[in-house]
Amino acid sequence: MAAEGAQAPQPGQAPPPEPVVPVASAPDDVLRVEHIAKRFGPVTALRDVNLHLRKGEVLGLLGDNGAGKSTLIKIISGFQKQDAGRMFVRGQPYEPKSVDDARAKGVDTVYQDLALIDELSVYHNLFLRRERVLRPLPLLNNREMKREARRALDEIGINIPRIDVSVARLSGGQRQAIAVARTVNSDADIILLDEPLAAMGAKEGAQILDLVARLKAEGRVSIIMILHNYVQVFQACDRVSMIQDGTIVLDKPTAETSVEELTKIVVDEYRRARLAAQG
Amino acid sequence: MASVAQEPASREPGGPEGPAQERRALPGWRAVGARLLALREGSIIVIAIVTAIYFSVNTSNFFTGENLETLLPYFAPFAILAAGEVFVMILGEIDLSIAGLYLFAPILFYKLNTSVGLSLVPAVIVALLACMAVGAINGVFVSVVGVNSFVVTLGMLFTFEGLSLIISKGTPVATPGGQPPLGTFGKVFGGGTYSELIWAVAIVVILQIVLMFSRWGVYTVAIGSNKLGASEAGVRVNLVMIRNYMLCSLTAGLVGVFEAVRSATVQPNPAGPNEILFLAVAAAVIGGTLLTGGSGTVVGALIGALFLGILKDGLILQGVQATYLLFYTGLAVIVAMTANVFVGRVRRGQTGGG
Ligand SMILES: Nc1ncnc2c1ncn2[C@@H]1O[C@H](COP(=O)(O)OP(=O)(O)OP(=O)(O)O)[C@@H](O)[C@H]1O
Ligand SMILES: [Mg+2]
Repeated sequence: MAAEGAQAPQPGQAPPPEPVVPVASAPDDVLRVEHIAKRFGPVTALRDVNLHLRKGEVLGLLGDNGAGKSTLIKIISGFQKQDAGRMFVRGQPYEPKSVDDARAKGVDTVYQDLALIDELSVYHNLFLRRERVLRPLPLLNNREMKREARRALDEIGINIPRIDVSVARLSGGQRQAIAVARTVNSDADIILLDEPLAAMGAKEGAQILDLVARLKAEGRVSIIMILHNYVQVFQACDRVSMIQDGTIVLDKPTAETSVEELTKIVVDEYRRARLAAQG
Repeated sequence: MASVAQEPASREPGGPEGPAQERRALPGWRAVGARLLALREGSIIVIAIVTAIYFSVNTSNFFTGENLETLLPYFAPFAILAAGEVFVMILGEIDLSIAGLYLFAPILFYKLNTSVGLSLVPAVIVALLACMAVGAINGVFVSVVGVNSFVVTLGMLFTFEGLSLIISKGTPVATPGGQPPLGTFGKVFGGGTYSELIWAVAIVVILQIVLMFSRWGVYTVAIGSNKLGASEAGVRVNLVMIRNYMLCSLTAGLVGVFEAVRSATVQPNPAGPNEILFLAVAAAVIGGTLLTGGSGTVVGALIGALFLGILKDGLILQGVQATYLLFYTGLAVIVAMTANVFVGRVRRGQTGGG
């Protein structure tokens, strides 16, 4: 570790050559992400990320705060564009031009900030961008949206007493449930969940994880889920990938790793960074 | 004069209290009041009714057909302008350029008719399309380029008022189709007694339906409430914003043509349009549309415009001197807005509890 600390680039010196990160894959991948890089001005959020998602699998995406997890999710969801790298969905090149475009290709997302509209009702939020319309009139079919919203929320089992109130009046956990319901209720078969349990109580968290387990049992969707709680990771995920320093440092089935191993990676990195900072 | 000056001022603090006392006395009134206050437009409806009652008690001829005709031009144009402005204000933006287009549209219309030789209807259509193009430019600057909307539209306001002066060479022009005796065109486009009223009601009804029951309306509220969230959810934010600015410019051009036809001439003097701009924004705000965005109502803007019209008309009927009108209008706007804040608090308290 001391040797690694000494390797940290000194100002004015050329950085050490980057190791070539091997591209991970499996024959039944629905999504593959290769050599993704993304910078925000001086900040390198993602350096070289390879990720793959197999059909019907739940992949846990781990990493410290600011590691670039949300950035990766936003690139896959079509909200941001990567600086470099390629993506494939079901073997086909995947270059989403917009969130709508990604959705049309079967990718739907729950963002960390939930993307809920406070001033709109629960059911308008649930159907945002997928509104039911009274054809041939371009008017909203509120009755149908209310009915379907009720059904979708009951299916998840989260208690939302009224669906015609604005979401500003709901609790943090209820809001999160609505964001999850919105995505799960779409036709997407690749679902990205950015910290879906962050504001949830133990019971509501368990309900969402049950929902994820149910979706997995149905076998139709594949899920990438960002989580910070390792207990939940081992409960819900088939495989984990960990982002560190803008690249994937661990990619293992949950059965082959442990809370101890995951913790050790994080702690080692922390020590290494601290040593490097001390020079 | 001093007594005239005092009378309306002493009324105003009592105004909003009137129905509250009535509600306390009569349980039926209380239920009606509660229903009314639950509406976003509730407080301005109450204020407008109280003002109308005040003037009908204090003047002999407020509720006469003749006076109603006098009242119409005091509010119908503002209602149309405010309806368009509401769509921009819900986004959390503002459009000041409507005063410029209000002046520019009839002058362009005049030029197209007299110099280019287009007949009346095509000339109006081209003039309005030009206004919408300006709206699109406003929208692009605000959404895509990201310039502050106050600054962009202020620039456009000066630009188009200036352009109007240049084109007209600063001299009044006779509105084509607005000269007596009025033909069908003149009667439809603002010259007929009820023309602007009919346009105003039709435009307000349609835009309120669009706002409440269409995707366009939902996306407008979504952008004003949470722009980032709306774009994450896939709402095409720039497109909606550009569209709303185009709508706002269209209403501005339309009202400009109406007023030019109604008064038979266009005065290329920015002072009038600028005052109309502020009254239109005031009507929208008094009606319950937030300047901060996320929430608004077109019907409220209509009633806000009606309130301003009733106020001006009533003050004139009372014999208030023209020099005092603006002063009282200013006070009334402040009182109405303060009442709005209180009623808003009551409403939030009520709905929060129930
Ligand atoms: N739009 C942006 N503009 C500038 N910098 C950004 C932007 N988005 C992310 N970043 C930066 O990129 C890095 C990665 O951010 P990201 O949100 O992806 O982290 P994260 O892994 O999701 O963290 P957390 O666990 O806290 O959610 C951070 O340093 C962040 O400051
Ligand atoms: Mg994040």
